[in-house]
Amino acid sequence: MSSARVTSLLRLLRGRLGRSGARLALAIAALIALASVPPALAQTTPDKQPEQHVKIAFVSIDNDPRYEPLRAYERIVLKTREHPLTGAEVGIDEANALKRVLNADFTLDRIVAKSPADVAPAVLAALDAGTHFFLIDAPTEAYKPLAAAVHGRDALLFNVSEPDDSLRREVCAAEFVHVFPSRAQLMDGLVQYFISRKWRDLLILEGPQPADATMTGAFERSAQKFGARIVAHQHFKPGSDPREREANDPSLLSAVNRDFDAVFVADDTFDFARTVPYHLVRPRPVIGSIDLEPVAWHWTWERNGGPQVNSRFDRKSGGRRMEGPDWAAWMAVKMIVQSVMRTHSAEFAKQRAFILGDSDFDGAKGLAMSVRPWDHQLRQGILLAAPYEVVATAPIEGFFHRVNQLDTLGDDEPESKCHLNK
Amino acid sequence: MRIFALALLCALTITPAAAKDTGLIFVSNEKTNNIIVIDPNSYKVVNDIKVGRRPRDMHFNADHTKLYVACGDDDVIAILDVATLKVTGKLKTGPSPEAFAMDEAQRRIYVSQEESSSLAIIDMDRGGIVKEVPTGGEPEGVLASEDGKTIYVSSEAGDLVHEVDAASGAIKRDVVVGLRPRRFAATPDGKDLWVTSELSGAAYIVDRAKFVVTGNVPFLPPGMRKSDVTPVGIAMTKDGKTAYVALGHAAHVAVVDVAARKVLGYILVGKRAWGITLSRDEKTLYVANGLGDDVSIIDAASRKAKISIPVGRVPYGIAVDE
Repeated sequence: MSSARVTSLLRLLRGRLGRSGARLALAIAALIALASVPPALAQTTPDKQPEQHVKIAFVSIDNDPRYEPLRAYERIVLKTREHPLTGAEVGIDEANALKRVLNADFTLDRIVAKSPADVAPAVLAALDAGTHFFLIDAPTEAYKPLAAAVHGRDALLFNVSEPDDSLRREVCAAEFVHVFPSRAQLMDGLVQYFISRKWRDLLILEGPQPADATMTGAFERSAQKFGARIVAHQHFKPGSDPREREANDPSLLSAVNRDFDAVFVADDTFDFARTVPYHLVRPRPVIGSIDLEPVAWHWTWERNGGPQVNSRFDRKSGGRRMEGPDWAAWMAVKMIVQSVMRTHSAEFAKQRAFILGDSDFDGAKGLAMSVRPWDHQLRQGILLAAPYEVVATAPIEGFFHRVNQLDTLGDDEPESKCHLNK
Repeated sequence: MRIFALALLCALTITPAAAKDTGLIFVSNEKTNNIIVIDPNSYKVVNDIKVGRRPRDMHFNADHTKLYVACGDDDVIAILDVATLKVTGKLKTGPSPEAFAMDEAQRRIYVSQEESSSLAIIDMDRGGIVKEVPTGGEPEGVLASEDGKTIYVSSEAGDLVHEVDAASGAIKRDVVVGLRPRRFAATPDGKDLWVTSELSGAAYIVDRAKFVVTGNVPFLPPGMRKSDVTPVGIAMTKDGKTAYVALGHAAHVAVVDVAARKVLGYILVGKRAWGITLSRDEKTLYVANGLGDDVSIIDAASRKAKISIPVGRVPYGIAVDE
């Protein structure tokens, strides 16, 4: 056995077992090195395609406001938010563990642009230097110039963190694959659950941020789609000014004529949302920005191999809990790896055709996932997460679709504004 | 005196009288950390054994005096004395042991460890890992060849089946199968390996000599969609003619003509049918319904469930003492 193989095995084991397992890994590597290895081992798979080197770039921007910690006061951090780089790294580790089978190795380069406008030039430079696969971790503004820059080029750009529906509707670019769920998918999942429980009457509390309006808009569309009733739509204004108590007190905001089954809160800053539970005029659950949130991933997800994915992430990140964007970055790498494994080809065109074709992917969320041909959104299940439990997964049982149950979530082909397949 | 006692003990353990053919049905339950024992005649629960945390795959030794149980959260394989129903020993494994194969002649246990993505080779007498084979992500199914020289292990996250040389612990060959491969059955002629692919809704058939996929059998009970069908457990009759596949989410067991590679029919069972075991006379099928917290007992001839029995939470597998 070559020393390189032993070293890579060591690295693999160390990564998987953590520092405490390093000594064990060393012992195992020594054992394997000692064992006589038949020559057949050096070249195992019957196919003899040349080794290929697959480069993946992870593109983020400096000071992305989406990753600012959410604070109560300066020194009280309610939630830290991290770029999903570690998710991609877990995917790369898994791929390189399969190097022997894939006859390929994978590297991840990090590109940090100064601003959303700098994303397109940075991607172009890497594309010119031979990278075809990009994980895009940038806010909405970056996408339109990016779409124009890569139009018609040999590139696939995986959106791993932005749910904005306009990227799937108006921007609508063939070079994008939206691995992160759209806001429409997320809100459809949430509303399906309430319909399935016959909790149809909902009160909306919308914040003043543009993101709050976008989120509320998506929620209203989902409510209309599945037949939920909005009993009242209130606009809140965070603060404690008694003259504005009608807009800043959850009790008064929820004192509406008609009863409701739940309150939907859209609050990007989170500071108001956290004051809503237990402060309503009626004892009702809160959903949306707090308490029951539709997410792409959750650290308590117990089914479909979820615990193993979470624990690999936990080890790699040093104890951080895996979140939606981390999952999407992991998944994007997994899709790239599958395209190499299943096509037995080093040609980008074949790999792209595999990813965008009818291929099924295993995203550790149950139902097999695939890319929608009309807007390149990844079909996927949505987890409805309470702080310590995935309460349900959408599509909820009973919501049927003529083709694929996953298409009950988000923009289905007939109503899509984007028709990349036509 | 001590020597005499030891000699007597040895004499006792090798007497064939130890095998009693009690017919007792053992069900491992992942979330209640126990093994439920069911009487084969009355179908009553007769025992509840606290075996360890997260018990999963189980195998009897050849004379059925001991039941070996992989305890996923204790990182051991517990040894249960079948006569007394007490845990009499534990073999240390790596993190999160799931499924295993035993080779009593070589005194080896081969166990998949899903947290460390490896196959551990365990010394059955002394315990402890003799060798550890790195596998693709989330290894699950483990099967030993008839001669004990080759071990097959599936990697759920890597979509692979590895062929491992039992003596050296080296991976000889790999084959890419469907999405999320889970468990195995081998045809008695030694030619084919069947592996269930949970997310492809099919069983893949691997030619063991060439180590390539030669076909697959997709499952689709009437009125279901492909996405509902998530096959996991598989059992094959000793003549290699019929296979039974538990279809998970689809709540059915598929009956398959192995030679024709065709589905003969479907049997309705419980929620998330995962583990499946065939009785020795092959007249009865036992199915663990993972999210139904019960087992279905099926009459194989009429392809009908006779009874379902509540057990612990998240039943994994079933072993029958016969």
